[in-house]
Amino acid sequence: MTGDRAGLRLRVLAGLVAFMFAALTTRLWFLQVLASETYQTEATQNYVRLVGLPAPRGRILDDTGTVLVDNRRSLVVTVNRQAAGENLEEVLYRLSKLLGVRVEELASRVEDPRYYVFQPVPVEVDAPKRVAFYIGEHSDELPGVAWMEVPVRIYPEGTLAAHVLGYLGQISPPQLEDPTFADYQPGDEVGKTGVEAQYEPFLRGTEGLIKLRVNSAGEILSQIGERPPQPGNDVVLTIDADAQRLAEESLSLGLQSAHGIFEGGTGRSLQATGGAVVVIDPTTGAIKALASSPTYDPALFVQSMSSNEYKRRFGAARDYPLLNRAIQGEYPPGSAYKPFVLLSAMRLGMVSVSEYYPCPPFWEVPEDPLEEVFHNWTSANLGSISLAQALWDSCDTVFYPIGYDYWRRFYPPTEPPVEPLQRDLEAMGFGRPTNLDLPFEQDGRVPDAQWKAGIHKDNPEAFPDGRWFPGDFINMSIGQGDTLATPLQIAAAYAAIQNGGRLCVPHVFQQAQRPGGKAIRAWRPRCGRRLPATQAQIEYVRQALTQVPVQGTAAFAFRGFPFSQVWLAGKTGTAEVFGRQDYAWFAAMTKVPGRQYVVMALVEQGGHGSETAAPIVRRVVEGLYGLPITQFASGGATD
Amino acid sequence: MDVVATRVFVADKRPFRHLDPLLLLAALALAVVGLVVIYSATRASLVAQQLDPGVFLKRQATFVTLGAAVVLLASSFDFRFAKVYAGFVYLASLVLLMLVRTPLGTTVRGSQRWFQLFGFQLAPSEFAKLALIAILAAVLSELRSADLSLQDVFRTTAIAAAPGLLVFLQPDLGTSIVMVAILVGVLVVAGTRARYLGILALTAIVLIFGAFQVGLVKDYQIARLTAFADPENDPLRAGWNRDQAEIAIGAGGLFGRGYLKGTQTNLDFVPEQHTDFIFTVVGEEFGFAGAFFVLMLFALLIWRAIRIALLAKGPFGTYLAAGIASMFAIQVFVNIGMTLGIMPITGIPLPFVSYGGSSFLTNCAAVGLLLNIHMRRLV
Repeated sequence: MTGDRAGLRLRVLAGLVAFMFAALTTRLWFLQVLASETYQTEATQNYVRLVGLPAPRGRILDDTGTVLVDNRRSLVVTVNRQAAGENLEEVLYRLSKLLGVRVEELASRVEDPRYYVFQPVPVEVDAPKRVAFYIGEHSDELPGVAWMEVPVRIYPEGTLAAHVLGYLGQISPPQLEDPTFADYQPGDEVGKTGVEAQYEPFLRGTEGLIKLRVNSAGEILSQIGERPPQPGNDVVLTIDADAQRLAEESLSLGLQSAHGIFEGGTGRSLQATGGAVVVIDPTTGAIKALASSPTYDPALFVQSMSSNEYKRRFGAARDYPLLNRAIQGEYPPGSAYKPFVLLSAMRLGMVSVSEYYPCPPFWEVPEDPLEEVFHNWTSANLGSISLAQALWDSCDTVFYPIGYDYWRRFYPPTEPPVEPLQRDLEAMGFGRPTNLDLPFEQDGRVPDAQWKAGIHKDNPEAFPDGRWFPGDFINMSIGQGDTLATPLQIAAAYAAIQNGGRLCVPHVFQQAQRPGGKAIRAWRPRCGRRLPATQAQIEYVRQALTQVPVQGTAAFAFRGFPFSQVWLAGKTGTAEVFGRQDYAWFAAMTKVPGRQYVVMALVEQGGHGSETAAPIVRRVVEGLYGLPITQFASGGATD
Repeated sequence: MDVVATRVFVADKRPFRHLDPLLLLAALALAVVGLVVIYSATRASLVAQQLDPGVFLKRQATFVTLGAAVVLLASSFDFRFAKVYAGFVYLASLVLLMLVRTPLGTTVRGSQRWFQLFGFQLAPSEFAKLALIAILAAVLSELRSADLSLQDVFRTTAIAAAPGLLVFLQPDLGTSIVMVAILVGVLVVAGTRARYLGILALTAIVLIFGAFQVGLVKDYQIARLTAFADPENDPLRAGWNRDQAEIAIGAGGLFGRGYLKGTQTNLDFVPEQHTDFIFTVVGEEFGFAGAFFVLMLFALLIWRAIRIALLAKGPFGTYLAAGIASMFAIQVFVNIGMTLGIMPITGIPLPFVSYGGSSFLTNCAAVGLLLNIHMRRLV
């Protein structure tokens, strides 16, 4: 049998075997010689893990070095919904037992609207150490669950200046695509609002890195290298913690006091739903205090929040406490606007300081077929008065004809329309951002013919007539109609009147400094723009405003005030808002040798400026200059 | 038979003069390679568990020593006696394969394949491969006609199907594939017509398809087989295993990363590394040079086996040697091919190199039988 045929068949077998070896050798050559580099890289990536070490952010300090925002280390438990996948329910159940938090609570925290499904959501901060050990040892039972020790923000002064400081959150996908955030990773914390957002580049530290050798199970075998984290730089603010506290307390007391005042128009007590106080140094634009009410606790943002909880805490029912009313609230300024309208009219020679103007209880537009009547705030006839008295008594019927005069002189509009009032008001900082160094500032509004035509075109049903009427000017002359301003715009404009006409960019930043205290960047005051008026005209207005608290609309609120110690001038404002109680304004310019402040207060649905806003300002001023504090007293409802 | 036996007895005075030293050398070199890489594959994880890093090395060394005795034993008697007892050996292997399915057997990772004996795990399927080779050689060598009839082919197939199925049900897909390869190898050498082999293949395809339909094939087996074709779809991480093996070998480059220095090996990335994936240690730590050297050792081993089949006196020796050559060849090809990503992942050990007593001793017996045939080629 072992003949040639068997030999042939054995050769077939041998050929088959040779083919197998050729196949193996070829493949071996490919893997180990041709493609080896790729596999070497993969092998390295396999066992080297880079672990980021979060760097503490810089602190935020007030002008005297009081720490407003600091860091502490906290053990944070996170859940990645995508990684947990179908097991999420089970994972949350186990986590609930581990953390001692109800499952429903955890489930709602994990559904935090601020995080995307692929981002780890912090569900528990300040977890005890044993939780970390447990998660490490039972990772198979808890897919998607991780812990990390991270520096988190603490606020030694509590809610103080919350709106200025802002809060942190995980970086959003649109931000990740922004080149500004090129070196950020998904899941990184980033300032969302306030100083935290504005000065993110200073505050953010440089993440450290540990290079680890791991095995296939991901167990750490040894450390290969390390780059320690660099803490961020500190930011020193112009905000003064004492002034800020004073402003917040005064605002809060003022709102409380307003709640006790009966308002005849609605037959209810004043709602006083919110307000703002701004204290600014008129010589530089440095903001010493910026209060907004209602406020919120920035510490709440350290932990995740369900969308229901978010709505409950920050929604309409709480009057939107996250809104920084001082820079984001847009309100009709009412009579607080009059000095600026008057400055424009004086510049254009439409009025004269040597003349006297009638101040009747009401005024009708001449030749108006509709015979529309515009009332003064008081039914008394004040007779013929100077422009100065028109300011301190806030006489609307002096201003209506001025507004009408703009119509008469400059309309029917040419193309493009000549609108000197609007251009002057814009030059005074209205209708455009002050460019203060905080995000999300609103512009306010200086309406003009083009704007009115535009909103009519966009929504003809709500705005049936797009034409500009005399009434638009008349309303504008007393800060009503479609005019809107933010409290900060008003404060900045009064600061310009006080400092002789320089319009400074308001700011909260004083300097950035290294953790050791070495300054690396300081604020350079920007006061280049000037009010469109002469020194004499500005001086006239300023002198007129000194009489407001003495014999004008705020005389009751400032009775007994030591004017000999502190120079003080100001203006009340009571703005009508359709469907709401009146909004109360008061802006004061104050000075002692070596120190100056503009202090202004706004109270939403606070009634008369003289009655609710002025006492708040008075209390702040007394506090700032170390005067005895006067108790709030109702009465003196003028303008 | 009696006559033959008498003659052999007389001629069997000093058969050890006719040893095949190259065959012995190849087997010994492979065994040494095995010892070297088993140590590397197991050291790190043993150290991590604070165990003796040499424990697997020592046990394998014991198998190598025992293996030498098995070679001696398997080559000392006249292999033609094996033809006489092939039937008993075959039946005994079937009994063992059935017993291992009873509570006497041990289940490891869902597979009931081993007897636990004196602290060692004995896999009857390993010995069954040799038993199968012996019975096939015996039956085919007894056929009178020069050409095999289709009936002969099916009868032979039925003989192989019994242990093949028992092994498949353990489940041990790898060993059943080896048994199929042995059957085909022996049938080819015995002169089966290509047409009959085609019919056999067709029948097999129908039966395998049927097995899938009836659900006889386990899900994980399908998953592992399909992961080879479609690495993205890996429900049981079969694709991951395959990728890690490929990375290990690819990272080795031309000359390797150095003994005990492979990160894939030492950091436990490759699964079953001291047994089924042992070749990845060779590839990663000794590179193409080392891997090619090991391939050449196997080529030498199989070449000697086929040469012995050619030289053998009588069809029984030829078929026996051809069956053994087929067994080695398929195991080398499937095992190394699996680590290189060109064959599906099945649990087949690499002859002489993989850790494991049953496999090593079976291979030693096979080498012993080859030597036996070689020594007695002239008488």
